[in-house]
Amino acid sequence: MNGFLIVNGLSGLLIVSSLLVTLAGNPANSARFYALQSFILVMLFVALAGATGSGELYLWSFTALLTKVILVPAIMYRAFRRLSDPAIGTGAVMPTALSIVGAAVALILCFVVASKVTLPAADAIKPALAVSLALFFIGLACIVAQRNILKQVFGYCLMENGSHLTLALLAPNAPELVEIGIATDAIFAVVVMAALGSRIFDTLHTLDARQLTSLKG
Amino acid sequence: MLTFSHLILGLFQALLLLAAAPLVSGLSRMVRAKLHTRHGPGLLQDYRDIAKLLTRQDLTPPNSGFAFRSMPAVMLTTVLVIATGIPMLTRFTPVAPIGDLITVIYLFALARFFFSLSGIDSGSSFSGIGGSRELTMGVLVEPVMLLSLFVAALLAGSTNLGAIGSAIADGHVRSATATVIAALSFAYAIYIELGKLPYDMAEAEQELQEGPLTEYSGPSLALIKWAMALKQTVVVAWFVGVFLPFGSAPEMTVFGLLFGLVAFAIKLVLIFAAVGVVENSVARVRFRLTPQHSWVGVGAASLAFVFYLVGL
Repeated sequence: MNGFLIVNGLSGLLIVSSLLVTLAGNPANSARFYALQSFILVMLFVALAGATGSGELYLWSFTALLTKVILVPAIMYRAFRRLSDPAIGTGAVMPTALSIVGAAVALILCFVVASKVTLPAADAIKPALAVSLALFFIGLACIVAQRNILKQVFGYCLMENGSHLTLALLAPNAPELVEIGIATDAIFAVVVMAALGSRIFDTLHTLDARQLTSLKG
Repeated sequence: MLTFSHLILGLFQALLLLAAAPLVSGLSRMVRAKLHTRHGPGLLQDYRDIAKLLTRQDLTPPNSGFAFRSMPAVMLTTVLVIATGIPMLTRFTPVAPIGDLITVIYLFALARFFFSLSGIDSGSSFSGIGGSRELTMGVLVEPVMLLSLFVAALLAGSTNLGAIGSAIADGHVRSATATVIAALSFAYAIYIELGKLPYDMAEAEQELQEGPLTEYSGPSLALIKWAMALKQTVVVAWFVGVFLPFGSAPEMTVFGLLFGLVAFAIKLVLIFAAVGVVENSVARVRFRLTPQHSWVGVGAASLAFVFYLVGL
């Protein structure tokens, strides 16, 4: 039972770190916070593996450490570091306080939904399940309420972390192949989006999604 | 359970803080001078200032009334009363009826109310505007304070400050994440309440932000300066007692109290040194932007509340 308490506690930190990713001043800092969040996710996988006794999850946490803590943030950091558009500011559409309150409201709604889940496997980890759903919606909100196209990439990454967590919580014994599918999917998506972002910046000299109204190049 | 020894302990710690308050404000002045790489006043300068002011003549504006004359005494005694109820050397509150979070918040509000009322009562328009600025600050800070403390109270199952502190010290709170976020947002509210840059400057009595002080002189000004130094110390003691109660005495023994005193002094000095570094490395924020900052505190506190509800 104690192991599940650690899982729930760590999932709370996921919400905090996802807010840090969303609200960070520039994309390079977001990449650092994203690495932090992925590290928390890896620790959560390890805690969950200890609590459920699932050998596959240890393997998952190892591959997640390689891909999400090291590879993806490194790609994004290297690609986004040199792109800066001072005109856009932080690029946030909503005020900071409203974003935090919005995350809190999303978490409550997701908890209402998660408390309706009657799976025997999900009894002890309902708060963590609510967090995984909320993480998905925070990522979605980051894409919708963000004008900076590079920050929108982080929205995608947050959604992906959320769905990864849902999978780990509900199917801790799923084979490694599923994990590889998710991880490679994320890496290629991030590489493609980073390349697209760089190309857009080179051609149009802006990172503002609202400026991208015409086709060029 | 209020016994005679508890009452004595409460009085002792209030008087101890009263005696140490100018030392603490002297420490912040010294830290500031060091960070500005100038010589600056000595550690005991605030004692000398207060002693000098106490010998001067007390002048009151002709249009001022009861509120103006009584404010220094009301402010000092209110803060002293709060100081008897806050757990400092011990885990438990010495005077339990005062060590309740709602009582403490309202007592602070009483001090603030008289402070700004005296500004209006002095008859000077400049003081009046300073008073309303002070109240605006209170409106912005108190929601953060209330909400974060309520989360801590819900987690500990009691509104008694000592009970919250012991629950946190023993690790009996249900959610560590919610406690940490509540502690951070409370620390932020406390920081604004301290009256330090970037939001305020408690020493700047020539400016609008300490406008109510404009018309005071002599012993009244000395009492207010003393009360403000005491308030800064008490506010930090409040934070320490609730969220950092480590090292304080769980039982009332002589050795435990001595150890608690040493631990409390170390925590106080460390916090004021850290506050001094923050205060001197930021520029003043425009007053118009303060609400945006304080609303982030409200957001963090409400996130802590949601974490408590969800049971993370």
